[in-house]
Amino acid sequence: MTPQEHPDTVDLLAAEYVLGTLRGRARRRFEKWRATSPLVQERCRFWEENLMRLAKGVRPIKPPPHVWQGIRARLNLARGVSQRRTGRALAIAASVLLVAGLSALLYWRSTGPGKLSEVATISNPAGTQMWEVDVYRTSGRLIVHAGNQTTRLTDRDYELWALPTGGKPVSLGLMPVASASTQRTLTAAQLQALANSPQVAVTVEQLGGSPTGQPTSTPIFVVPLRSS
Amino acid sequence: MSSAEQSADLDEQLQSLLDRCAAADSTALERLYELASPFLFACLTRILRRRALAEEALQDVFVSIWQRAGQFSASRGRPMAWMMSIARYRAIDLLRHERSAPVLVPDLPERADSNDDSKDDSAPWMPATGLLERCLALLTDHQRNCLELAFVGGNSHEDISRLTGNPLGTVKSWIRRGLQSLRQCLES
Repeated sequence: MTPQEHPDTVDLLAAEYVLGTLRGRARRRFEKWRATSPLVQERCRFWEENLMRLAKGVRPIKPPPHVWQGIRARLNLARGVSQRRTGRALAIAASVLLVAGLSALLYWRSTGPGKLSEVATISNPAGTQMWEVDVYRTSGRLIVHAGNQTTRLTDRDYELWALPTGGKPVSLGLMPVASASTQRTLTAAQLQALANSPQVAVTVEQLGGSPTGQPTSTPIFVVPLRSS
Repeated sequence: MSSAEQSADLDEQLQSLLDRCAAADSTALERLYELASPFLFACLTRILRRRALAEEALQDVFVSIWQRAGQFSASRGRPMAWMMSIARYRAIDLLRHERSAPVLVPDLPERADSNDDSKDDSAPWMPATGLLERCLALLTDHQRNCLELAFVGGNSHEDISRLTGNPLGTVKSWIRRGLQSLRQCLES
Protein backbone atom coordinates (compact mmCIF):
# COMPACT_ATOMS: atom_id res chain seq x y z
CA MET A 1 0.00 0.00 0.00
CA THR A 2 1.31 3.45 -0.85
CA PRO A 3 0.10 6.61 0.97
CA GLN A 4 -1.13 8.11 -2.31
CA GLU A 5 -3.42 5.13 -2.99
CA HIS A 6 -5.20 5.31 0.37
CA PRO A 7 -5.21 8.92 1.60
CA ASP A 8 -8.13 8.41 4.01
CA THR A 9 -6.48 5.41 5.69
CA VAL A 10 -3.20 7.31 5.92
CA ASP A 11 -4.98 10.26 7.47
CA LEU A 12 -6.74 8.13 10.08
CA LEU A 13 -3.54 6.29 10.95
CA ALA A 14 -1.70 9.63 11.26
CA ALA A 15 -4.47 10.98 13.51
CA GLU A 16 -4.40 7.91 15.79
CA TYR A 17 -0.58 8.00 15.82
CA VAL A 18 -0.55 11.64 16.97
CA LEU A 19 -3.43 11.02 19.37
CA GLY A 20 -1.43 8.15 20.87
CA THR A 21 -4.00 5.40 20.37
CA LEU A 22 -1.96 3.68 17.67
CA ARG A 23 0.15 1.35 19.77
CA GLY A 24 2.51 -1.61 19.66
CA ARG A 25 3.72 -3.02 16.35
CA ALA A 26 1.28 -0.88 14.36
CA ARG A 27 2.85 2.26 15.89
CA ARG A 28 6.38 1.09 15.11
CA ARG A 29 5.42 0.17 11.54
CA PHE A 30 3.82 3.60 11.11
CA GLU A 31 6.96 5.32 12.45
CA LYS A 32 9.03 3.61 9.76
CA TRP A 33 6.53 4.73 7.14
CA ARG A 34 6.55 8.29 8.47
CA ALA A 35 10.36 8.42 8.27
CA THR A 36 10.27 7.94 4.50
CA SER A 37 6.97 9.39 3.25
CA PRO A 38 6.50 13.19 2.92
CA LEU A 39 2.73 12.69 2.65
CA VAL A 40 2.61 10.78 5.95
CA GLN A 41 4.82 13.47 7.54
CA GLU A 42 2.46 16.18 6.28
CA ARG A 43 -0.61 14.44 7.71
CA CYS A 44 1.14 13.97 11.08
CA ARG A 45 1.99 17.68 11.19
CA PHE A 46 -1.64 18.54 10.40
CA TRP A 47 -2.82 16.53 13.40
CA GLU A 48 0.02 17.65 15.68
CA GLU A 49 -0.96 21.28 15.07
CA ASN A 50 -4.68 20.73 15.49
CA LEU A 51 -4.95 18.18 18.28
CA MET A 52 -2.62 20.31 20.40
CA ARG A 53 -5.64 22.39 21.31
CA LEU A 54 -7.01 19.45 23.31
CA ALA A 55 -4.31 20.16 25.91
CA LYS A 56 -5.59 23.65 26.60
CA GLY A 57 -6.66 22.75 30.13
CA VAL A 58 -3.19 21.53 31.10
CA ARG A 59 -1.75 23.81 33.76
CA PRO A 60 2.02 24.41 33.51
CA ILE A 61 4.12 22.82 36.28
CA LYS A 62 7.61 24.12 36.98
CA PRO A 63 10.04 21.19 36.97
CA PRO A 64 12.51 20.89 39.89
CA PRO A 65 16.00 22.46 39.36
CA HIS A 66 17.81 19.12 39.16
CA VAL A 67 16.12 18.36 35.82
CA TRP A 68 17.90 21.27 34.10
CA GLN A 69 21.16 20.32 35.82
CA GLY A 70 20.73 16.80 34.39
CA ILE A 71 20.20 18.18 30.88
CA ARG A 72 23.33 20.34 31.16
CA ALA A 73 25.33 17.33 32.32
CA ARG A 74 24.01 15.07 29.56
CA LEU A 75 24.83 17.65 26.89
CA ASN A 76 28.19 18.37 28.49
CA LEU A 77 27.24 22.03 28.92
CA ALA A 78 28.60 21.99 32.50
CA ARG A 79 32.32 21.51 32.94
CA GLY A 80 33.59 19.35 35.83
CA VAL A 81 37.09 19.11 37.35
CA SER A 82 38.24 16.15 35.25
CA GLN A 83 36.90 17.83 32.11
CA ARG A 84 38.86 20.97 32.96
CA ARG A 85 42.07 18.87 33.19
CA THR A 86 41.36 17.27 29.83
CA GLY A 87 40.51 20.72 28.53
CA ARG A 88 43.92 22.06 29.59
CA ALA A 89 45.75 19.24 27.75
CA LEU A 90 43.62 19.85 24.69
CA ALA A 91 44.30 23.59 24.92
CA ILE A 92 48.09 22.99 24.80
CA ALA A 93 47.68 20.73 21.76
CA ALA A 94 45.38 23.26 20.15
CA SER A 95 47.91 26.07 20.73
CA VAL A 96 50.58 24.13 18.81
CA LEU A 97 48.15 23.53 15.95
CA LEU A 98 47.02 27.15 16.06
CA VAL A 99 50.58 28.47 15.62
CA ALA A 100 51.08 26.14 12.65
CA GLY A 101 47.71 27.09 11.22
CA LEU A 102 48.25 30.82 11.63
CA SER A 103 51.63 30.60 9.92
CA ALA A 104 50.01 28.87 6.96
CA LEU A 105 47.17 31.38 6.97
CA LEU A 106 49.51 34.41 7.05
CA TYR A 107 51.49 32.96 4.17
CA TRP A 108 48.32 32.36 2.19
CA ARG A 109 47.00 35.83 2.92
CA SER A 110 50.24 37.44 1.77
CA THR A 111 49.88 35.71 -1.58
CA GLY A 112 46.07 35.46 -1.70
CA PRO A 113 43.38 38.06 -2.27
CA GLY A 114 45.39 41.08 -1.09
CA LYS A 115 45.60 42.85 2.26
CA LEU A 116 43.01 41.94 4.86
CA SER A 117 40.93 45.06 5.64
CA GLU A 118 38.28 43.99 8.15
CA VAL A 119 37.51 40.95 10.22
CA ALA A 120 34.40 39.80 12.10
CA THR A 121 34.61 36.83 14.42
CA ILE A 122 31.26 35.22 15.14
CA SER A 123 31.21 33.06 18.26
CA ASN A 124 28.33 31.66 20.25
CA PRO A 125 27.95 32.72 23.92
CA ALA A 126 29.78 29.56 25.02
CA GLY A 127 32.84 30.94 23.17
CA THR A 128 32.79 28.47 20.27
CA GLN A 129 33.78 30.17 17.04
CA MET A 130 31.07 29.69 14.42
CA TRP A 131 32.50 31.76 11.55
CA GLU A 132 35.27 34.18 10.66
CA VAL A 133 34.40 36.81 8.07
CA ASP A 134 37.35 38.39 6.23
CA VAL A 135 36.97 41.45 3.99
CA TYR A 136 39.70 42.27 1.43
CA ARG A 137 38.82 45.77 0.30
CA THR A 138 41.55 46.24 -2.32
CA SER A 139 40.60 43.11 -4.23
CA GLY A 140 36.89 43.37 -3.31
CA ARG A 141 36.87 39.81 -1.95
CA LEU A 142 34.90 38.35 0.96
CA ILE A 143 36.01 35.09 2.53
CA VAL A 144 34.00 33.29 5.20
CA HIS A 145 35.38 30.34 7.16
CA ALA A 146 32.94 28.13 9.13
CA GLY A 147 33.99 26.48 12.38
CA ASN A 148 33.62 22.74 12.83
CA GLN A 149 30.71 23.26 15.27
CA THR A 150 28.66 25.09 12.65
CA THR A 151 26.12 22.48 11.58
CA ARG A 152 24.00 22.44 8.45
CA LEU A 153 20.31 23.27 8.90
CA THR A 154 17.84 20.81 7.40
CA ASP A 155 15.99 23.09 5.03
CA ARG A 156 17.26 26.57 5.70
CA ASP A 157 20.46 28.57 5.21
CA TYR A 158 22.45 31.03 7.26
CA GLU A 159 22.76 34.45 5.57
CA LEU A 160 25.29 37.20 6.30
CA TRP A 161 24.31 40.88 6.32
CA ALA A 162 26.17 44.19 6.42
CA LEU A 163 24.40 46.64 8.76
CA PRO A 164 25.23 50.12 7.39
CA THR A 165 24.60 53.02 9.77
CA GLY A 166 21.29 54.68 8.90
CA GLY A 167 20.60 52.25 6.03
CA LYS A 168 18.92 48.93 5.38
CA PRO A 169 20.81 45.64 5.79
CA VAL A 170 22.65 44.49 2.68
CA SER A 171 23.04 40.78 2.01
CA LEU A 172 26.59 39.48 1.76
CA GLY A 173 25.47 36.01 0.75
CA LEU A 174 24.97 32.62 2.33
CA MET A 175 27.27 31.26 4.99
CA PRO A 176 29.25 28.02 4.73
CA VAL A 177 28.89 25.30 7.39
CA ALA A 178 30.92 22.45 8.89
CA SER A 179 34.50 23.78 8.46
CA ALA A 180 33.90 24.85 4.84
CA SER A 181 34.94 28.22 3.40
CA THR A 182 33.40 30.41 0.72
CA GLN A 183 34.95 33.19 -1.34
CA ARG A 184 33.08 35.73 -3.40
CA THR A 185 33.71 39.04 -5.14
CA LEU A 186 31.72 41.86 -3.57
CA THR A 187 29.66 44.27 -5.65
CA ALA A 188 30.22 48.01 -5.39
CA ALA A 189 26.99 48.29 -3.36
CA GLN A 190 28.14 45.60 -0.94
CA LEU A 191 31.57 47.24 -0.54
CA GLN A 192 29.95 50.61 0.09
CA ALA A 193 27.57 49.09 2.66
CA LEU A 194 30.48 47.38 4.41
CA ALA A 195 32.42 50.67 4.52
CA ASN A 196 29.56 52.16 6.59
CA SER A 197 28.87 49.06 8.70
CA PRO A 198 30.22 48.91 12.22
CA GLN A 199 28.54 45.49 12.55
CA VAL A 200 27.51 42.43 10.55
CA ALA A 201 24.66 40.04 11.33
CA VAL A 202 23.63 36.45 10.62
CA THR A 203 20.03 35.37 10.11
CA VAL A 204 18.40 32.03 9.35
CA GLU A 205 16.60 32.16 6.00
CA GLN A 206 14.84 29.80 3.65
CA LEU A 207 17.05 27.69 1.37
CA GLY A 208 18.86 29.93 -1.08
CA GLY A 209 18.53 33.01 1.14
CA SER A 210 15.95 35.66 1.89
CA PRO A 211 13.48 36.00 -0.99
CA THR A 212 12.87 39.68 -0.18
CA GLY A 213 16.44 40.94 -0.14
CA GLN A 214 15.96 41.86 3.51
CA PRO A 215 16.25 39.69 6.64
CA THR A 216 13.04 37.77 7.32
CA SER A 217 13.97 36.67 10.86
CA THR A 218 15.60 38.11 13.95
CA PRO A 219 19.42 37.92 13.68
CA ILE A 220 20.94 35.09 15.68
CA PHE A 221 24.28 36.92 15.77
CA VAL A 222 25.24 40.60 15.52
CA VAL A 223 28.98 41.20 15.85
CA PRO A 224 31.39 44.12 15.30
CA LEU A 225 33.39 44.42 12.09
CA ARG A 226 36.93 45.34 13.13
CA SER A 227 39.72 46.89 11.07
CA SER A 228 42.52 44.44 10.57
CA MET B 1 -1.87 42.54 23.16
CA SER B 2 -4.51 40.09 21.86
CA SER B 3 -4.12 36.35 22.48
CA ALA B 4 -3.41 35.83 18.77
CA GLU B 5 -0.65 38.47 18.86
CA GLN B 6 0.69 37.00 22.10
CA SER B 7 0.78 33.55 20.52
CA ALA B 8 2.51 34.83 17.34
CA ASP B 9 5.05 36.74 19.45
CA LEU B 10 5.83 33.61 21.44
CA ASP B 11 6.19 31.55 18.24
CA GLU B 12 8.69 34.06 16.88
CA GLN B 13 10.63 33.97 20.13
CA LEU B 14 10.69 30.15 20.19
CA GLN B 15 11.74 29.99 16.53
CA SER B 16 14.63 32.36 17.18
CA LEU B 17 15.73 30.30 20.20
CA LEU B 18 15.60 27.08 18.15
CA ASP B 19 17.72 28.75 15.45
CA ARG B 20 20.28 29.68 18.08
CA CYS B 21 20.20 26.14 19.52
CA ALA B 22 20.99 24.87 16.02
CA ALA B 23 24.02 27.17 16.14
CA ALA B 24 25.11 25.46 19.41
CA ASP B 25 24.14 28.43 21.64
CA SER B 26 23.52 26.85 25.04
CA THR B 27 22.14 30.10 26.51
CA ALA B 28 19.30 29.79 23.97
CA LEU B 29 18.56 26.27 25.21
CA GLU B 30 18.41 27.57 28.77
CA ARG B 31 15.94 30.30 27.78
CA LEU B 32 13.91 27.81 25.75
CA TYR B 33 13.82 25.53 28.79
CA GLU B 34 12.63 28.38 31.03
CA LEU B 35 9.83 29.18 28.59
CA ALA B 36 8.65 25.76 27.47
CA SER B 37 9.52 23.28 30.20
CA PRO B 38 6.58 24.04 32.57
CA PHE B 39 4.02 23.25 29.87
CA LEU B 40 5.91 20.23 28.52
CA PHE B 41 6.49 18.92 32.04
CA ALA B 42 2.77 19.23 32.80
CA CYS B 43 1.93 17.27 29.62
CA LEU B 44 4.49 14.58 30.47
CA THR B 45 3.23 14.30 34.05
CA ARG B 46 -0.33 13.85 32.78
CA ILE B 47 0.69 10.99 30.51
CA LEU B 48 3.30 9.28 32.69
CA ARG B 49 1.63 9.99 36.08
CA ARG B 50 4.88 9.58 37.98
CA ARG B 51 6.91 12.68 38.59
CA ALA B 52 10.26 10.86 38.55
CA LEU B 53 9.48 9.35 35.17
CA ALA B 54 8.21 12.68 33.82
CA GLU B 55 11.45 14.36 34.98
CA GLU B 56 13.51 11.73 33.16
CA ALA B 57 11.38 12.15 30.05
CA LEU B 58 11.75 15.96 30.19
CA GLN B 59 15.52 15.55 30.14
CA ASP B 60 15.24 13.24 27.10
CA VAL B 61 12.98 15.78 25.40
CA PHE B 62 15.35 18.74 25.80
CA VAL B 63 18.38 16.67 24.77
CA SER B 64 16.41 15.75 21.66
CA ILE B 65 15.33 19.37 21.02
CA TRP B 66 18.98 20.48 21.27
CA GLN B 67 20.13 17.78 18.85
CA ARG B 68 17.28 18.27 16.36
CA ALA B 69 16.81 22.07 16.52
CA GLY B 70 18.29 22.45 13.03
CA GLN B 71 15.56 20.20 11.62
CA PHE B 72 12.72 22.47 12.75
CA SER B 73 11.36 24.91 10.24
CA ALA B 74 8.56 27.42 10.83
CA SER B 75 7.15 26.43 7.42
CA ARG B 76 6.47 23.02 8.97
CA GLY B 77 4.31 24.36 11.78
CA ARG B 78 4.43 25.95 15.18
CA PRO B 79 7.52 25.47 17.37
CA MET B 80 5.43 24.46 20.39
CA ALA B 81 3.50 21.83 18.43
CA TRP B 82 6.86 20.39 17.30
CA MET B 83 8.27 20.34 20.85
CA MET B 84 5.05 18.99 22.30
CA SER B 85 5.07 16.15 19.77
CA ILE B 86 8.63 15.23 20.76
CA ALA B 87 7.49 15.17 24.40
CA ARG B 88 4.30 13.18 23.79
CA TYR B 89 5.97 10.58 21.56
CA ARG B 90 8.72 10.12 24.14
CA ALA B 91 6.12 9.67 26.86
CA ILE B 92 4.18 7.11 24.79
CA ASP B 93 7.43 5.21 24.16
CA LEU B 94 8.13 5.16 27.89
CA LEU B 95 4.58 3.97 28.58
CA ARG B 96 5.30 0.86 26.56
CA HIS B 97 7.73 -0.19 29.25
CA GLU B 98 6.18 1.43 32.30
CA ARG B 99 2.44 0.96 32.06
CA SER B 100 2.70 -2.57 33.44
CA ALA B 101 3.70 -1.07 36.80
CA PRO B 102 0.66 -0.11 38.92
CA VAL B 103 -0.04 3.58 39.52
CA LEU B 104 -1.40 3.84 43.03
CA VAL B 105 -1.72 7.60 43.32
CA PRO B 106 -1.71 9.57 40.05
CA ASP B 107 -0.12 13.02 40.45
CA LEU B 108 -2.84 14.77 38.52
CA PRO B 109 -6.53 14.34 37.76
CA GLU B 110 -7.32 12.13 34.79
CA ARG B 111 -9.23 14.58 32.69
CA ALA B 112 -8.38 18.10 31.55
CA ASP B 113 -11.31 20.38 32.27
CA SER B 114 -11.34 21.86 28.80
CA ASN B 115 -14.80 23.35 29.06
CA ASP B 116 -13.69 25.91 31.61
CA ASP B 117 -11.94 28.73 29.75
CA SER B 118 -11.09 30.51 32.98
CA LYS B 119 -8.61 27.68 33.64
CA ASP B 120 -6.87 28.07 30.29
CA ASP B 121 -3.37 28.64 31.70
CA SER B 122 -1.77 27.23 28.60
CA ALA B 123 -3.45 29.78 26.28
CA PRO B 124 -0.23 31.43 24.98
CA TRP B 125 0.97 28.04 23.72
CA MET B 126 -2.19 27.22 21.86
CA PRO B 127 -3.03 27.94 18.23
CA ALA B 128 -5.25 31.01 18.23
CA THR B 129 -7.86 29.78 15.81
CA GLY B 130 -11.58 30.11 16.14
CA LEU B 131 -12.05 27.44 13.46
CA LEU B 132 -10.52 24.76 15.66
CA GLU B 133 -12.72 25.77 18.56
CA ARG B 134 -15.80 25.60 16.37
CA CYS B 135 -14.80 22.19 15.01
CA LEU B 136 -14.15 20.78 18.48
CA ALA B 137 -17.53 22.10 19.56
CA LEU B 138 -19.18 20.03 16.80
CA LEU B 139 -18.02 16.76 18.38
CA THR B 140 -20.28 14.85 20.73
CA ASP B 141 -19.33 14.87 24.42
CA HIS B 142 -18.34 11.20 24.16
CA GLN B 143 -16.07 11.85 21.18
CA ARG B 144 -14.40 14.90 22.74
CA ASN B 145 -13.93 13.17 26.08
CA CYS B 146 -12.32 10.12 24.42
CA LEU B 147 -9.97 12.33 22.38
CA GLU B 148 -8.94 14.26 25.51
CA LEU B 149 -8.37 11.08 27.51
CA ALA B 150 -6.13 9.78 24.72
CA PHE B 151 -4.26 13.00 23.87
CA VAL B 152 -3.88 14.58 27.30
CA GLY B 153 -3.80 11.45 29.46
CA GLY B 154 -1.90 9.17 27.08
CA ASN B 155 -4.59 6.51 27.47
CA SER B 156 -4.98 3.60 25.05
CA HIS B 157 -8.33 2.44 23.64
CA GLU B 158 -8.42 -0.23 26.38
CA ASP B 159 -7.66 2.31 29.14
CA ILE B 160 -10.46 4.59 27.93
CA SER B 161 -12.88 1.70 27.74
CA ARG B 162 -12.05 0.82 31.35
CA LEU B 163 -12.11 4.44 32.58
CA THR B 164 -15.43 5.34 30.96
CA GLY B 165 -17.11 1.96 31.39
CA ASN B 166 -17.94 1.72 27.69
CA PRO B 167 -17.25 -1.27 25.40
CA LEU B 168 -13.91 -1.23 23.55
CA GLY B 169 -15.58 -1.23 20.12
CA THR B 170 -17.72 1.77 21.07
CA VAL B 171 -14.68 3.71 22.26
CA LYS B 172 -12.77 2.95 19.05
CA SER B 173 -15.77 4.06 17.02
CA TRP B 174 -16.20 7.34 18.96
CA ILE B 175 -12.52 8.16 18.44
CA ARG B 176 -12.53 7.29 14.74
CA ARG B 177 -15.71 9.27 14.06
CA GLY B 178 -14.49 12.17 16.17
CA LEU B 179 -11.26 12.38 14.17
CA GLN B 180 -13.12 12.12 10.86
CA SER B 181 -15.53 14.89 11.88
CA LEU B 182 -12.65 17.11 12.96
CA ARG B 183 -10.83 16.60 9.68
CA GLN B 184 -13.93 17.32 7.59
CA CYS B 185 -14.63 20.47 9.56
CA LEU B 186 -11.03 21.73 9.54
CA GLU B 187 -10.54 21.13 5.83
CA SER B 188 -13.94 22.31 4.66
